[in-house]
Amino acid sequence: MIKHPSEATLALFTGGELGRFARWRVGHHVEECDDCRRQVAGFAKLREEVRDAGEVPELDWNRLAVEMKANIRLGLEAGECVSRRSLPRAVFSLRALAACTSLAALLVVSLLLEQPTPRVEKVNAPDATVIEAASDGIQLKQGEQTLILKNGSARDVNYLATGDTMRARYVDADTGQVTINNVYVP
Amino acid sequence: MAAAGLILAGAMLVCAQDAPLDQHSSIGIDLPSDSPVALLKTDVGEIRPTQRGGALIVDLHMALTLRNSSAHHIRGVTLLVLAQEVTPGGKASVAVPSLDVAPGQAFSVRVDLRLLKPLQTGSGPLVKVSLDGVLFENFDFYGPNRLNSRRSMTAWEMEAERDRRHFKTVLAAAGPEGLRHAILESLARQAERPRIDVRVSRGGRAVAAATAPDRMVRFAFLRLPDSPVEPMEGWAEISGNEAREPRIEVRNRSPRPVRYVEIGWLVRDRQGREFLAGSVPAAENDMFLPPGETGRVLQDTALRFSRNAGEPVAIESMTGFVSQVEFADGKVWVPNRTSIENARLLGVLAPSPEEQRLTDMYRTRGINALIEELRKF
Repeated sequence: MIKHPSEATLALFTGGELGRFARWRVGHHVEECDDCRRQVAGFAKLREEVRDAGEVPELDWNRLAVEMKANIRLGLEAGECVSRRSLPRAVFSLRALAACTSLAALLVVSLLLEQPTPRVEKVNAPDATVIEAASDGIQLKQGEQTLILKNGSARDVNYLATGDTMRARYVDADTGQVTINNVYVP
Repeated sequence: MAAAGLILAGAMLVCAQDAPLDQHSSIGIDLPSDSPVALLKTDVGEIRPTQRGGALIVDLHMALTLRNSSAHHIRGVTLLVLAQEVTPGGKASVAVPSLDVAPGQAFSVRVDLRLLKPLQTGSGPLVKVSLDGVLFENFDFYGPNRLNSRRSMTAWEMEAERDRRHFKTVLAAAGPEGLRHAILESLARQAERPRIDVRVSRGGRAVAAATAPDRMVRFAFLRLPDSPVEPMEGWAEISGNEAREPRIEVRNRSPRPVRYVEIGWLVRDRQGREFLAGSVPAAENDMFLPPGETGRVLQDTALRFSRNAGEPVAIESMTGFVSQVEFADGKVWVPNRTSIENARLLGVLAPSPEEQRLTDMYRTRGINALIEELRKF
């Protein structure tokens, strides 16, 4: 009789979290076993979904982890209360135990895949217009299109952001005149 | 065969893009018929676009020679620069304040641009340059004023008068050595002034850092005794090195109605360094403040601060002060030199355009040229 790896092992295998020997052993089995291969594919798909969910910028993983732990603890306590009322044995069937194990494995894999540390996310709107001081002038960027108003051969440039305008002020080396360049956000 | 044709077509396209552009059709210069400045000459170097990936880079170097065709001395000129095909709705301007151009005299304004645009080119000129305004010595103004250059140039001219007066007073009181000392102090301040890089964006945050949650930070205010407008309270949304939507409540304590207020904005980082971050202007055409009334100065842009080529400057606290006020009659108030010195702003603020010009003149031409310049007007 073939001994299949547990769901938790398959989940860890999918995430590349197993040790070298265990990975080889499970990998060998997965190559031979259609059922386990399907489960691995399912975990891989789930992993992609979890990664996509991670793109939501405002998700607070620390808070989520705390809430999940609290919910699990609450569930366990509730379970204890219920068990004191001598529930039928069917509640603790092997199927229910397997479901709980799967859930726990998913939780572990999710937390491993998405480190519960805050991340810095770029949330620029794709068409956001940005003005900034470039090395040689003020740059206005709209998507792929750029305008740079250059400072010429200026030695000492003072930049100032005024509302939706960026200003560069310098003395033109050739004319000796103060020149003030402005670029405005549309 | 088809592939060879494609390669040939591609090569022809690249060759066509490397060919110089026609200056006359690439640049449009528009001065009104009654303009107080006349275009004498336009020097434009060769405009040779280069291809980078799927885009064209076009460098434009223009020097416009203008003649004062009015009967008054010109103190400042602002040119509007539009490149609608490249940045639709985007505007730029080149202003030259602190001028003293006598009637009939010529002067030049340089415009240096780099444009990065898609390969498909339109038929119109790449850049259009037009006159936005001319300011005369008596504060008269000519021009369409689309960029509110009247107010900007008036403020620069008032600062110029203030700082020329300061250096003339020093010269009169302490002679050339005293003036030299004052100029060297100014140059030292300019060199030591803490700098900060600012990025302005609209249409989305620049960056949201989950490590630094948003918080509302209250402005502290420096109160300048002679300011016609008093800041009451203000807030901005801060997230790490980014500040968003500053809003400041102000009260008009002068007897004249006010139509524009600008608040200078200083930020302090966690190491206690203070930088001039920018200024918060009232929204154009959105303010009318009768005497005794309060109003709001607010901006819907996001500013991100960094220094030393990208090192974020985490904002710890902010300070504001009234840096410019325009009354309903077009008169402009700027802080006097004593207020700036007393508020310890002198070391943080950039010098006025005139102070920058005078100190640069001392650096390049010496004390005698500077004294001669101060005696002109």
